[in-house]
Amino acid sequence: MDFNLMADITPLLIKAAWVTIDISARAIVIGFMVASTLVFLRSIKFKPLQWFVRGYVSLVRGTPYFVQLLLVFYGGPTIGLKMDPFTCGVMVGAFNIGAYMSEAIRGALESVDSGQNEASRSLGFGRLQTLGYIELPQAAGLMIRSVGVLAIVLVKNSSLVSIISVVELTYQAQRLIGSTYKPLEIFTLSALMYIVIVYAVMGIVELAYRRATRYTTQ
Amino acid sequence: MELDFSPVLTYLPTLISGVGVTFVIAVVVGLFSVVGGLLVAVISIYTNKVVSWPLRFFIWLFMTTPLLLQLYFLYFGLGEWILIPALVVGVLGLGFHYMAYNADIFIATIRSITNGQYEASRSLGFGHLRTLYYIIVPQAFIRSVPQIGNNLILMVKDTSVLSAIGVAELVYASQYAISVSFRPFEFFIVIAVIYYVINLFMEFGQSRLERLTAYRR
Repeated sequence: MDFNLMADITPLLIKAAWVTIDISARAIVIGFMVASTLVFLRSIKFKPLQWFVRGYVSLVRGTPYFVQLLLVFYGGPTIGLKMDPFTCGVMVGAFNIGAYMSEAIRGALESVDSGQNEASRSLGFGRLQTLGYIELPQAAGLMIRSVGVLAIVLVKNSSLVSIISVVELTYQAQRLIGSTYKPLEIFTLSALMYIVIVYAVMGIVELAYRRATRYTTQ
Repeated sequence: MELDFSPVLTYLPTLISGVGVTFVIAVVVGLFSVVGGLLVAVISIYTNKVVSWPLRFFIWLFMTTPLLLQLYFLYFGLGEWILIPALVVGVLGLGFHYMAYNADIFIATIRSITNGQYEASRSLGFGHLRTLYYIIVPQAFIRSVPQIGNNLILMVKDTSVLSAIGVAELVYASQYAISVSFRPFEFFIVIAVIYYVINLFMEFGQSRLERLTAYRR
């Protein structure tokens, strides 16, 4: 182990790790909005719309994220979709994880017993009020856990963005391995940074879970 | 922006050979990761801490870091000492990655088999290894079918990542055709459709397998 080298490259890797965090955070926020929209569209009783959502989710889940990234980045300009690498990474990540998240959110909402909905409606709550006051609070625990797992998947997937030359952690690590020929040192450092990021996400998810379920006994 | 799929037809043999390589990689990695995962799980449960802790550590390390980083490390890292072809590195990297995921599942399912099974088997005269081989592992394996199936589906999609280190599978095989024909959109659409069809078959197979084994769970 060459500790001098490790000390030298740490600032570079931290800067790159920040890009990984940036790209993942944006993709998770936008992805959650995409997922909520998909769940909403699917709840509308209009068959073509439901087919569209199901088709979209099936297509996104059935093809590799890597191919989606290449398709949008290199193929996008053909159909007038030009983006810089960073934006492309965020958007593809968001629309990819959005499809997975929509299933997770739908599953969590469906896990709430239908009697809750009926009781609430018969007590005079409107549909939105039922969703907001009765169903969401009960589904929140499961929803946060499954969305949290997907957030970790997204952080690890963000390494693939290096292929369209976004200078994030994996890209920087690969470049440093190429220029220093010290793979073990660089792998140790960059793996450590991924582990820190993943554990930070897990911690945030755990806090959110505790807060969401503080009034429900589980 | 008119679409032109004729270059895709011209390079169809290239794509088909790419699918062939992807298929071979998927089969080899599938066998390697399932059998290896089972071995790692059994060894890490039934041995002392000196053996099991390093195994647990590697399972944890492979699960918390991205596949691409592991591939780069193996490819450029091993390249320092020995020269091995990208295909071998890719198969090993993907294999170890999913071996860790599978081992994690097998550990959970082996633990879920009640102790009574072990005790009953031992009292009927089976030795320790025979009990594991005939009684514990088969039951655990059947219980893990759904999750292992999920992992295999994810693994087949992740074979596309191997193109980053230059393994000549589907995505990499089409790179040349794309750079010659300047038709990235058409090629990647076709590639995506190929993966989607493979995925449909795998999901069908998985649901059949789950139904076949459901009565034993």
